[in-house]
Amino acid sequence: MSEKKEVLHVGIDLGTSRSSVSASNGQRQFVESYVGWPLDMVSRKVLKKSVLVGREALENRTMLDLHRPLEQGLIKEGSEKDEAAVRELLWHLLSLAGVSREGRNNFKVRAVVGVPAEALRVNKQQVRKAMQGAADSLMIVSEPFAVAYGLESLLHSMIVDLGAGTTDFCVMNGRLPTDEEQRTLPQAGDWIDEQLFRLVRERHAQASVSIHMVRTWKEEGSFVGASKTPVIVTVPVAGKPTQIDITNEMRQACEAIVPPIAESMLELLSRVQPEYQEKVRNSIIVSGGTGLIRGLGPRLEQELQAVGGGKVRVVKDPVFVGSDGGLAIALDAPEDDWERLSA
Amino acid sequence: MRRLKRQMLRELVRENVELITGQPPRRERRRARLRLTARMAAVVVLSMGLLGSSRLISSFDTRPGAAQAQGQKGVAGLAPAARFAATPGPIAAAVFPLAVRKVAIDAGHGGKSVGTRTMPLGLVEKDVTLDVAARLRKLLEADHFQVLMTRDHDQEVALEKRGELANKGGADIFVSIHVNWIENRRARGVETYFLGPTEDPYLTRLAADENRESGYSLADMRKLLDRIYADVRQEKSRKLAETMQASLFSSLRKVNPKLDDRGIKAAPFIVLLASEMPAVLAEVSCLSNEQEARMLAKPLYRQYIAEALAAGVRSYADLVEDKPQAAQLSKKGT
Repeated sequence: MSEKKEVLHVGIDLGTSRSSVSASNGQRQFVESYVGWPLDMVSRKVLKKSVLVGREALENRTMLDLHRPLEQGLIKEGSEKDEAAVRELLWHLLSLAGVSREGRNNFKVRAVVGVPAEALRVNKQQVRKAMQGAADSLMIVSEPFAVAYGLESLLHSMIVDLGAGTTDFCVMNGRLPTDEEQRTLPQAGDWIDEQLFRLVRERHAQASVSIHMVRTWKEEGSFVGASKTPVIVTVPVAGKPTQIDITNEMRQACEAIVPPIAESMLELLSRVQPEYQEKVRNSIIVSGGTGLIRGLGPRLEQELQAVGGGKVRVVKDPVFVGSDGGLAIALDAPEDDWERLSA
Repeated sequence: MRRLKRQMLRELVRENVELITGQPPRRERRRARLRLTARMAAVVVLSMGLLGSSRLISSFDTRPGAAQAQGQKGVAGLAPAARFAATPGPIAAAVFPLAVRKVAIDAGHGGKSVGTRTMPLGLVEKDVTLDVAARLRKLLEADHFQVLMTRDHDQEVALEKRGELANKGGADIFVSIHVNWIENRRARGVETYFLGPTEDPYLTRLAADENRESGYSLADMRKLLDRIYADVRQEKSRKLAETMQASLFSSLRKVNPKLDDRGIKAAPFIVLLASEMPAVLAEVSCLSNEQEARMLAKPLYRQYIAEALAAGVRSYADLVEDKPQAAQLSKKGT
């Protein structure tokens, strides 16, 4: 007699910068989307692991062949190492949710994975391939749709999911969004990092700065509009730790993203049926880690004044909003449907 | 809300099942059905037109007075003398509402012909064009077009050979993909060329650069040029260029707001001259502009370019197939 397996539903938000998992056993975990393999025998001996994932990989990057396998929200193409890195990342997320490779046979895993709104079929197939062996059944959804589902904002609303690799837009009209109701912009968190990196290098040519440092500064001190406190950071200048003021550079880099977001937002709004435009304008939800830029919500509301004003709500817990939405979909999908979606 | 969720989940599951089974999404299937219907309608209209013309020819009587008698029975409002005695004018492209089934994709340069390059990023035109061409191929095949590639790996293909490949392969349209280099490094944008003469010194220089490895002699070129201008395909090429340019600019501007619309231009590129179908050369980006080069280095931007080109091909195909043929034909009095 066959033993009945325990069913575990998981929602996964595979992000360029961070990936998160929410599981039906109550686990909610996130990990930085970095995977690294020891460069040589020495580093393998020091690290005592064959592969490192997340913060641990980032902190030991000098000893690793480090990969950030998702570029602009998609698996990098043409690199087997990056495909392997995505598999490691997915297995790591599942292990955080309580499913180890060894104990995999004890569970029936039903997974929902979020991908960028405009991801093509070929990108979705890549995700399916990476999930083979890790899940029994798999559903792929657009990230902003997962967010909308989790927040139950399925009718007359707009989701703006500001991630690290892409900014995804999606208008919810009470049905699965069509291509015309979704947009993906390459301007997102990483793009702001690049702007800030360039501006700091221009202004403080002597300072020794890396993109990882810039990323940390942005996560701690990003803002648009007026700042109550200056952004002061410590950097080595000719080897000596020195404090520099990067308030203006931070403002400039963060504000650079407002025009493309506002333009896409207004363009998508103009496509909504006229009688529902006001409802959608008053129900704009900003999610994703980059959405936490201080003052971004009010600034986008200012931009909405051009079309009669509106309300922008910034999600407080952006790290898990996508994976929570994925989990909600996984739990709501009927058992019969899961059988049709074998991974 | 529960009903709404149930309905959305049903759609989501269906979409995922289509992904697993490799079926095109329902929307695409519907579009393909519409395209097929339009093609069949075009074939029927064309056949009827040709049948009508042959009857007209066979019944054409050269005896004095016979033309007048024909004219009285003929198309209203058109003098018989004008119909039969006037000097033949150029044939209007609208007379040939032929479907677009096979698309020749030409990835510019290749092998030793590297094209333009940008050193800091290590980007080379021949690689970018090949990457965009491969992406475009996937998109068009998913949309049920047949695709013919003039090269699918890093190899040198002579310019006249590219046209020949498209001609022999029976391509309906020819799309050559290139990346621009503009002396003003601040300039950026997209532009699309179709075959024709130019007096612009910049375009003459650009065409000379692109034509360097053509393999044609001057005498060959003269013959080809004479043939070209008598051909209806120039008009079709212009329309194809307009459609591709509109699609490139409107799609890419969303992700590259500073993009310039550099418009459509006529220029004597050999690669366009050698092909016998409507043909365009699209300069899809500018490697000379640092910001564009950085965007081109990202796969997602190259994907956007391919999608914009695919949308242009689809629009052109829809345009030539969905034209109200009867109206076009009656205007010409055939």
